[in-house]
Amino acid sequence: MKLLTHNLLSSHVRGVGPRGFPLRLQATEVRISPVEFNPDFVARMIPKVEWAALLEAADTLHLVEVPKGPIEGYEHDEKFLRQMHHVLLEVDVLEGTLQCPESGRLFPISRGIPNMLLSDEETET
Amino acid sequence: MPPSKPYSFVRYKTAEEAKEAYVTLNGKEIVDDLGQKIILYLNFVEKAQWKELGLQALPPGLMVVEEIISSEDEKILLESVNWTEDIDNHNGQKCLKHRRVKHFGYEFHYENNNVDKDKPLPGGLPDIWDSILEKWLKEGFIKHKPDQLTVNQYEPGHGIPAHIDTHSAFEDEIVSLSLGSEIVMDFKHPDGVTVPVMLPRRSLLVMTGESRYLWTHGITPRKFDTVQASKGHRSGIITSDVGDLTLSKRGIRTSFTFRKVRQTPCNCSYPLVCDSQMKETPPSFPESAREASQLEREYVHRVYEEIAEHFSSTRHTPWPRVVDFLKALPSGSLVADVGCGNGKYLGINKELYMVGCDRSQNLVGICRERHLEALVGDALAVPLRSGSWDACISIAVTHHLSTAERRVAALQELVRLLRPGGMALIYVWAMEQEYKKKKSKYLRENRLRQGKEEEIHSDAAEPESLGEQVPDAGDQDAPCRVSAATDVRAGGGSASKVTDAKLPVHTNRTSFRSQDLLVPWHRKGNPGRDEPVGATESRAPGPVFHRYYHVFCAGELEEACRTLSHVRVLQSYYDQGNWCVVLQKV
Repeated sequence: MKLLTHNLLSSHVRGVGPRGFPLRLQATEVRISPVEFNPDFVARMIPKVEWAALLEAADTLHLVEVPKGPIEGYEHDEKFLRQMHHVLLEVDVLEGTLQCPESGRLFPISRGIPNMLLSDEETET
Repeated sequence: MPPSKPYSFVRYKTAEEAKEAYVTLNGKEIVDDLGQKIILYLNFVEKAQWKELGLQALPPGLMVVEEIISSEDEKILLESVNWTEDIDNHNGQKCLKHRRVKHFGYEFHYENNNVDKDKPLPGGLPDIWDSILEKWLKEGFIKHKPDQLTVNQYEPGHGIPAHIDTHSAFEDEIVSLSLGSEIVMDFKHPDGVTVPVMLPRRSLLVMTGESRYLWTHGITPRKFDTVQASKGHRSGIITSDVGDLTLSKRGIRTSFTFRKVRQTPCNCSYPLVCDSQMKETPPSFPESAREASQLEREYVHRVYEEIAEHFSSTRHTPWPRVVDFLKALPSGSLVADVGCGNGKYLGINKELYMVGCDRSQNLVGICRERHLEALVGDALAVPLRSGSWDACISIAVTHHLSTAERRVAALQELVRLLRPGGMALIYVWAMEQEYKKKKSKYLRENRLRQGKEEEIHSDAAEPESLGEQVPDAGDQDAPCRVSAATDVRAGGGSASKVTDAKLPVHTNRTSFRSQDLLVPWHRKGNPGRDEPVGATESRAPGPVFHRYYHVFCAGELEEACRTLSHVRVLQSYYDQGNWCVVLQKV
């Protein structure tokens, strides 16, 4: 699970609604997988990122050199874009858990795959 | 002799010896191994039923591997179990009434002797077992990687009643490692045959086939086992030769039972003891959300888990118009593929960030193998941020939901995900497989096309590749009432209305006669090889899986989309046996 994906995940336990984001990340196995750098692509991702959630996740994983937010003229700042590229796309959580911040419900991440299935009682209808 | 009581019979070689035993032992008070005082009462009987057991064989499918763990590893593994964490543990109690138990991977529920397959325990199996399981796999002691572990600790006097591990809960292979002490386990066949099997210390018991599915296994609660004197601590059946028997005092035995949780119903050859097959009554049209959920669980989710690999091998050609939709999206778009299956569309356009969501763990596993981002989730509760996605696709997914409400709810989920202006592409299987007098690829005879293995799949239910049809909503061969989106009983099928509420089973490669039906999927022994239609008669039939579908009538999907709020239908078309809609969130 990449951190950009984590940034887009939300818990659907009944009743939590928007308070199901962001999921609290705990990782026991992380891998760095190189991905081809595409500056335009990364630049387009920046406005879509929820920064507080990203910083929290990066912090849990003890990542360094994580920009605290979009800087002025980021679209052309290669250093900034490369750092964001690394954080969003190259850090892969293989094993760990995701916790719903509202309900405390734990979801496992196994072999890089988050399992977000809920039981019938937990599903929002 | 009072009935329903256990009795022991002793046979002496001579009448004199029998008399001497009677005089010495009758009325004698002794202390048993639990420290209780008992009095022996003897009586002569005229006849004793003495069943001379023939040469016994181990139950078929049973194997005991001795010394599979070294003494050093045994110590480490026993110490790795943290019993004090348990809330259910009777801490401090000297004489525990029951054996202690711990579960990993999935919680085993003793109320129904099953696991909750949708609630895996976080953490999975403890790391300490990884290398051992790999070793066992490599050396052929086990064939499958287990995902559930139950640790049982038996003190002398503890046992477990005779049982068969629930068929629907676990796959065929069940293995159990005995550490700390040896034990005798009793295997019973329904005909009445009992086979006591010695499980030595540090041995691995492997149960497959008949020994897993048909024979019960259990441990008598006692402090001594009767064992074969000549064999010492070696595995095997305890002899019935009374001259070679002796008592062995039990020690504390910890068993580690590894199993693989089953994701599909059991279809073993022992239906009378199989909970899957005994409860399987023909499924009927669901009348509540709960029934709908159960129907989908049995006839969609479980099936896809089972056929995942084979299914994936028949789903390799992306549909051109879906590709077009994805390629037309601006660079840097966030796209969700709800019901992504094997990830066929996730890597199509490298300029997009696509995340797949599917109900099937096995199919998501295949996405992952292809280095695609995907997660396990349900289309009715997509675990993705609302209002954040530039586009969504739902290809051949909504037709697996069994009530109109659930289908609309799934469409609503797609809309929830979209940012304003975002677009969704939805494909569902059409009731009308013949359009403008031309049959869809699904219907066409395939005998002439045996060479084109890539396209023809005798068991593939949906069409893989497409033709050039241009749809005309007014021209259909199968007149079909358009079901309103709110019509719960979508009995708007064509010729046959579902009057008895049982779901009909469809015959592949023919027209649909009902909107709600079960479509067979035949899995072959060789998942990679496809064979032409018509050649199946000569082979032994493999297992057949039924998948639930609600096929859509002309206009039904579009109408369902129009009931959603904040939505505009941009396109509505027919694409080789499918009804398709592109909608936009306003």
